[in-house]
Amino acid sequence: MSISGAFSNALSGLTAASRSAEMVSNNIANALTEGYGRRELQLGAHSLGGTGHGVAVTGVSRSADLALLSDRRVAQAGSGDRQALARFHANLEKTIGIPGGEGSLSSRAAALETALIEAASRPESDARLSNVAGAARALANQIGHAAKSVQDARAMADHQIGADVEKINAAMARVVEMNVAIRGHLSSGRDASALMDQRQQLVDQIASVVPLREVQRDNGQIALFTTGGAVLVDGKAAEFGFTSVGMIDADMTVGSGGLSGLKLNGLPIATSGAYSTIAGGSLAANFAIRDDLGVVAQAKLDAVARDLVERFAGLDPSLAPGAAGLFTDAGAAFLPANETCLAQRLALNPAADPVQGGAVWKLRDGLGAAVPGAAGNASLLNKFQQAMTTTRQPASGSFLPGLRSFSGLTADLLSSVGAARLTAETEASFSTAKFEGLKVQELQSGVDTDREMQDLLQIEKAYAANAKVIQTVDEMLDLLMGI
Amino acid sequence: MSMISLGDLAQNFMLRRQNTDLKTDLQRLSTELATGHVVDTGKQVSGDFSPLAGLDASLARLQGFKATTTEAALLTGGMQTVLGHVERMATGLAPLLLAASSTGNAAQVAIAAGEAQQKLATAVGLYNSDISGRALFAGQAIDANAVVDVETLLSALDTEIAGATTANGVASRVSAWFDAPTGYAALGYQGGAALAPASVAPGETAGLAFTADDPGIRDTLKGLAMAALLARGALVGDTTARADLARHAGENLVASQSSRADMAARLGNVQGQIEAASTRNSAETAALQIARNGITAADPYETASRLEATRQQIETLYTLTARISRLSLVDFLR
Repeated sequence: MSISGAFSNALSGLTAASRSAEMVSNNIANALTEGYGRRELQLGAHSLGGTGHGVAVTGVSRSADLALLSDRRVAQAGSGDRQALARFHANLEKTIGIPGGEGSLSSRAAALETALIEAASRPESDARLSNVAGAARALANQIGHAAKSVQDARAMADHQIGADVEKINAAMARVVEMNVAIRGHLSSGRDASALMDQRQQLVDQIASVVPLREVQRDNGQIALFTTGGAVLVDGKAAEFGFTSVGMIDADMTVGSGGLSGLKLNGLPIATSGAYSTIAGGSLAANFAIRDDLGVVAQAKLDAVARDLVERFAGLDPSLAPGAAGLFTDAGAAFLPANETCLAQRLALNPAADPVQGGAVWKLRDGLGAAVPGAAGNASLLNKFQQAMTTTRQPASGSFLPGLRSFSGLTADLLSSVGAARLTAETEASFSTAKFEGLKVQELQSGVDTDREMQDLLQIEKAYAANAKVIQTVDEMLDLLMGI
Repeated sequence: MSMISLGDLAQNFMLRRQNTDLKTDLQRLSTELATGHVVDTGKQVSGDFSPLAGLDASLARLQGFKATTTEAALLTGGMQTVLGHVERMATGLAPLLLAASSTGNAAQVAIAAGEAQQKLATAVGLYNSDISGRALFAGQAIDANAVVDVETLLSALDTEIAGATTANGVASRVSAWFDAPTGYAALGYQGGAALAPASVAPGETAGLAFTADDPGIRDTLKGLAMAALLARGALVGDTTARADLARHAGENLVASQSSRADMAARLGNVQGQIEAASTRNSAETAALQIARNGITAADPYETASRLEATRQQIETLYTLTARISRLSLVDFLR
């Protein structure tokens, strides 16, 4: 029996070598596939009745470092979160504009001051007065534009939340399907590695939105929890509920009922603060932009707009007390109760704005004047110019106490955004570096073609040796037959 | 897990990331070198834009004052020229009138009076002159004539002196008309209220309240008008009285020199103030520009050397990428 035993041993060796070659070829084919876990054939000595009978393929192992994978996912979510916040602040800083840049808020304010000084020097000049009207209109528009871009960022965040929620809902449902398929494969003894690769990619998709932990269950099943503790997948898939709106106005908040909150399996959940179960991912960052940062930025812009309106109120003797001054709330007098969204409505007084059918000489002779007065009268223009430089405490907005000129106030507004941007960027680059470091570690355990080649050389050698065994045994049998 | 292999993607990922980092640096440094300013101003000022914005606001204001001082200097220069012309005329005419008066010769007095009437017309023309479309002495009514035309002025005086028979009577009535609020101020001066002080520097204004209603101009017109009335036949027939009136006119012109000089001196003061403010503004602009550059400028030496270092690093990385990519066991298996 030992000669035919040698035959079958060599045959099992050939089979193992072929299967190994197949694994190697699969690995090499997936050398550039991210999320592919390197496969290795598990071999064991085949024994029959206590004696060795060739080699047996006991299974296929898929290498995956779960701890590393988990850390990488949390870092990825954190990086997405910080980057979204940094982007918001950077965009806001760009919209307000840094001093010296064309079209920045502070250069618009400075242009108005220059125009007022020049007009006071030649109050009879139509060109100079038109410059004042143009500069004032541009300043009002710039504040409105900045506020609008804040609302655009909020709307974008809202839209992104909707898309993210849809994406992770679909991915969670797919993970459950994959769990079922993997259990089926494993219980029938088949290789489920390819399904695991696919499932890992799905989990990665969810992990970029909310930071999560993967927990192994029996039969190759996984359960997913957010790091905050919400159950995403455990046997069944959870479902997030969210409705995005098309346009966002400054007065639309979750509190006012204008915006949707987040629901998990039909129950409202916190999206910020200590009890938020989704904190640390791009989903939480978008909620922060929509419900917190955007609202604060709008309030600051409203405060700047209010400060501008109030600076020019009560200067013009030709106007009745309480009438709208040089800057108006959409043409009407400003009431402190209407401060919300003032930045968007801020407008130059129509009486002095040629674009709105006004006349520029009213900048010189009074916005309520019926007929032009002395052409050389610069007293009102001088008052306007002083109004820009007078230091006063802004009536609203979370500015530090202290007296500021209007340009000082715009600088404070920009500084608050700039400082927040720098902090967010520092955090973003820190979290990105952490994520990339973990990512490199993860990729290092991926397919190494050199190693696969080395394996292939060994497989080739083993195959040749097994084939040689068969040949030799064959010759031995021939010898036996030839007697 | 023991490290017995190194995934291909890890190497690739690292090279790619380093390449991106270096290229971002390269772009930033080359922009900074080309523009001379740092790309990220916010980082340069650590997020606090107040000093930079303050500098920019001051610079913008100074730019406005540059126009103001130029125009105020032009206006006051024009005024001073006019005052100079009138001064020369008045000081030339006074001896003529006094000499004619002392001879008592009717013809001499008539000639001097004719000269005075013509000089009055010239003076009124000068006071009504404008510079770049802006009346010099009409106050805020910069599109109006400062003084009413000579004919109206003199006919108003004709009515005023009607019935006066002595030189003293005529002289005192003329003088009273010019000084009374219902006289010259109401009928002769056609301009508006005085110009508001002009802002010439931050927190500094220059008074431009020089109108044709100023004593310096009013007193001059008084003397010229007295003599011009002779040419229109005042006290006709009374040679002695006419010579006396010519003397009054001449004396008046001499006496009013002090108010003319006073006005010219006040104007000169303002001119000096404007000039000083203008110089100060230029110096301040330069200083603020330097300060601003100090905040936002990128040091060219540092930028250039870092740019060179980055270039070398990128080249090294390219070499490395090429070498490492060729380093594969596959190439050696034959």
